[in-house]
Amino acid sequence: MTAHAEALHEHHGPPEANQSSRVDARTLGMLLFIGSEIMLFGSFFAAYFFVRVVNPGAPDHWPPEPYHFPVFVAGVNTAILVTSSFTMHWALQSIKRGQRAGFLAGMVLTFLMGLAFLLTQVIEYLNVGFNTGDGAFASVFFGLTGLHGAHVAVGLSLLLMVTIRGFRGHFSPEHHHGVELPGIYWHFVDVMWIVVYATVYLL
Amino acid sequence: MRKGIVQLVAIGVVLGVLATLVAVLFQWLPTSASKEFDRIQDIYWFATVMSIAIFSLVGAVVVYSVWKWRVPLDDDRDGPPIHGHTGLEIAWTAVPAILVIALGIVSAVVMSQNGEAGNRPLEVKAIGQQFAWRFEYGDYGDFQTGELVLPVGREARFTMEALDVIHSFWVPNFGQKMDAVPGIETSILVTPTRTGEFAVVCTELCGLGHATMRAKARVVSQAEFDQWVAEKRA
Amino acid sequence: MTATRHDTPHVEYPVHFEPPHGPTWKLFFAPGLVRGGWMAGAGFVFGTLLILVLRSWWSWEPVWNTEVVLAVAGMVTAPIGFLGGIGSFDYWLYYISGRPTRPEDHSGHGARSWRDYFRVNTDHKVIGIQYLVTTFFFFTVGGLMAMFFRAELAEPGLQFVDSQTFNGLVSVHATLMIFLFIIPAFAGLANFAVPLMLGAPDMAFPRLNALSFWLLPIAGIMFVASFLAPGGAFGAGWTGYAPLAEGQPLGQTFFNMGVQWAGASSILTALNFLVTIITMRAPGMTFWRMPLLVWANFTTSLLVVIATPFIAGSQFFVMFDRIMHTSFFTPENGGYVLGYQHIFWFYSHPAVYIMMLPGFGIVSEVISSMSRKPIFGYRLMALSLMGILVLGFSVWAHHMFVAGMADWLRVPMMITTLLIAIPTGIKVFSWVATLWRGRIHLTTPMLFALGFVTMFVIGGLSGIYLGSVPIDIAASDTYFIVAHIHYVLFGGSVFTIFAGVYYWFPKMTGRMYDERLGRWHFWLTFVSFNATFFPMHYVGLRGMPRRVFDYEEAFGDLNFFITIASFVLGASFILFVYNIVTSWVRGPIADSNPWRAHTLEWQVSSPPPIFNFDEIPQVVGGPYEYGVPGARHAIMSPAKETAEVHA
Repeated sequence: MTAHAEALHEHHGPPEANQSSRVDARTLGMLLFIGSEIMLFGSFFAAYFFVRVVNPGAPDHWPPEPYHFPVFVAGVNTAILVTSSFTMHWALQSIKRGQRAGFLAGMVLTFLMGLAFLLTQVIEYLNVGFNTGDGAFASVFFGLTGLHGAHVAVGLSLLLMVTIRGFRGHFSPEHHHGVELPGIYWHFVDVMWIVVYATVYLL
Repeated sequence: MRKGIVQLVAIGVVLGVLATLVAVLFQWLPTSASKEFDRIQDIYWFATVMSIAIFSLVGAVVVYSVWKWRVPLDDDRDGPPIHGHTGLEIAWTAVPAILVIALGIVSAVVMSQNGEAGNRPLEVKAIGQQFAWRFEYGDYGDFQTGELVLPVGREARFTMEALDVIHSFWVPNFGQKMDAVPGIETSILVTPTRTGEFAVVCTELCGLGHATMRAKARVVSQAEFDQWVAEKRA
Repeated sequence: MTATRHDTPHVEYPVHFEPPHGPTWKLFFAPGLVRGGWMAGAGFVFGTLLILVLRSWWSWEPVWNTEVVLAVAGMVTAPIGFLGGIGSFDYWLYYISGRPTRPEDHSGHGARSWRDYFRVNTDHKVIGIQYLVTTFFFFTVGGLMAMFFRAELAEPGLQFVDSQTFNGLVSVHATLMIFLFIIPAFAGLANFAVPLMLGAPDMAFPRLNALSFWLLPIAGIMFVASFLAPGGAFGAGWTGYAPLAEGQPLGQTFFNMGVQWAGASSILTALNFLVTIITMRAPGMTFWRMPLLVWANFTTSLLVVIATPFIAGSQFFVMFDRIMHTSFFTPENGGYVLGYQHIFWFYSHPAVYIMMLPGFGIVSEVISSMSRKPIFGYRLMALSLMGILVLGFSVWAHHMFVAGMADWLRVPMMITTLLIAIPTGIKVFSWVATLWRGRIHLTTPMLFALGFVTMFVIGGLSGIYLGSVPIDIAASDTYFIVAHIHYVLFGGSVFTIFAGVYYWFPKMTGRMYDERLGRWHFWLTFVSFNATFFPMHYVGLRGMPRRVFDYEEAFGDLNFFITIASFVLGASFILFVYNIVTSWVRGPIADSNPWRAHTLEWQVSSPPPIFNFDEIPQVVGGPYEYGVPGARHAIMSPAKETAEVHA
């Protein structure tokens, strides 16, 4: 300990901080960030709740005639996104075991499925038959799916970064935080989609 | 020690008397012109007594401590290491709890009294639009007025409607206030108790002319009210 | 913890923050304000082109929409360009592109000259001072706006400005004071003090910390710049209620977007605090040994992380309604107007505690060390913070008692609101009990702390009036509210900020402020504050609504008096600025521990060494053990002490 302290003096570097919790700082940071994100979604769900449930002027049919939501296409999309969560998990497990091929394949698959999800959603927007100005039901529909889409886009750029770094030979069984954190975020995006899908399309 | 307590209490009493004078010498509330505001003023005085007591207590201890135990800045001794006192801590958790719950109960009672419409109140529709109030008396014909006229002693139910943005209907002497919100219906009850002219103001920022969105409220006898209605219908 | 990322192989990379020498073009590409400037411009052009291309591709008419361009290019891509330009993202960009990151050379850490305060700096002490100077700048701007509209209010009718400008002044004043002064000034003080108090060498994420600071001036400039927008500044109040906000001129967009930047800044800072407090406490620093300032910032940060996204949401909805023709809050199209208020207040009520709890922490530090006594009922003090945190989320609708919300919500919200008086009362009584039999040093920070306690009691008591629904129905939206919030936020928060600045001034600068001027500042502020805001209770109850430029003749005399008093209040701030500036430049050199306080920040030199501690201290006791014989909070160099014992 003494020798260590002396060494620090010579470096003029910071003393190593005490680790006062078993939780890793970066993981904790990501989890708190996700907590904040959940509340952001919460505010959009609140808007949905007010428009559809509390509002005395809410339409009897949801969505109001003659509009309808593409439940089936979105269902297929849900399946794609949920599957991508499993491939993400596979990628992480592979790098933890040092299996590079599995890791890279998992990352590429996850990325492609995420991209497919996003593109499907863009096409869905173009063909859904109503626009943002067509009433409050459309506002909350585009609000929630759009907010989620933005999160998918952020998640995709994180995945892209992991994939690029993966192909450059980064990460190892010892150092895979850079895979784990985007992975946590991606799982969050997936779970959130299930809630959004259930609320917006099914309920 | 006993002397100290006497001094402390003396400071508390002086502060309490000063605060009471401030509360009594100025007429803080507008003259009540409605049954509802009479009840609100009762709670107001309840809260005021409570506030004076708490303020005098805290003020007295602060003033007394500073007066008694102030030391020069270069004094380097420490005070007695008192870490707490369980009984005291329980007391100042429990007493305020009792006080605020009492206030809550009184408020809830007044709220329900002020919210109960008797049978057949006078129905008045208050329409807020940038930047004027208009009133409709649906039971008496389909006319609109810019002046609010109410018969004294009769309960009136205001139903609010907003045509553009949120407005808020307030007559200070009635003590009742309610927002007029686009898309939903809101209402309040007022039972005027004295005749006279009062101001109607908008209290929710509604745009450029918010400050000038005022109207006149006139409380008159039933006979005068009937006459006024007849004139309006003609 | 300027921790190195171990995921990548480290390769030597040129030191970043060496001031560039040689040809000027190098300055152009080196991280700094110059690159920030042109990259902001580039960001604006990029954003504009992006919108034009997309809109003409989808053939949306008209292709040019000023509000969209302003919102996207002016308020998203240009600020991002600026942040990139000053170098906020350099490290991360290298990291995520898989290029070798430079080893941590700490060149971005600490301040060696005044220039170091104008760049991305990862030292929490520098960031704390950056925060404080920035926030006091915006405090001055917001205060001048108050002087303007107080002048306008000196007599009924319009004299100096038109009504949109008046509404703009009122709105921007409140917005600046809340989002650019009180919240970030507390963040600044905590940034400086919390890592030191914890025995940590820095915050958990220093680069994120630097980024959170730089988001702040962006928000501030947006709020102030809204006056330049055609149609004038946003004039729907800081609450920006829909649908009024949706019909406002272009300036409203500045509010919608500015809030996003300020909100992002506080969320990221809060997250950083939480991680720092949880993972970087010195050995022996258990939760029950943390100073109350740390406790206060822990609870505040939880509030920020949970609640702030709601204001982001509410402003997004208003902006979507404005520029994307959605109808969240337009009833004729199926929207629900009150939804805005619920979502807005679900943040903005907890925000009241975000603006108050750190002040509680500061006052606890000051009162304990200036009365030379342990804080009375330490554990209950910490628990009452948690109580306020939990209750704080269940009271938002008390802002809406007259808003026309569901009747059944009123009573539960009234009860929870009144219950908040209990933990708050515990705190006030405990501070007062800490004074009891202490040895009271009436220094400037102590004066402000005592001023805070008495003024906050008044603000809290007027809060009890407002908590009772029937009284609130009579008093809401009047000047009584204005009086109440100023007693809470000025007599409360601002007094604690002054206390904190004076208290830590010797630690931050290594110099002592002028005590005599400090006392003058306090007494002048205290008297003129009361003269300004106490009469507002009266005019409010008597019938003067808030946010009006014109009022009944009857209130003329009192308003004139209030205006004069507010000018004195404004002038008293000059004393503070003079005192701080001159003392910073040539004040007497301060001891490392002028208050003889026990918390860790006072055990290191003033200003603290660049990495705070040569060695992480070992905490062995509570932080406020004044008067306990032989008590210690921490052993500052455990290794040395162990060596001595063994020798």
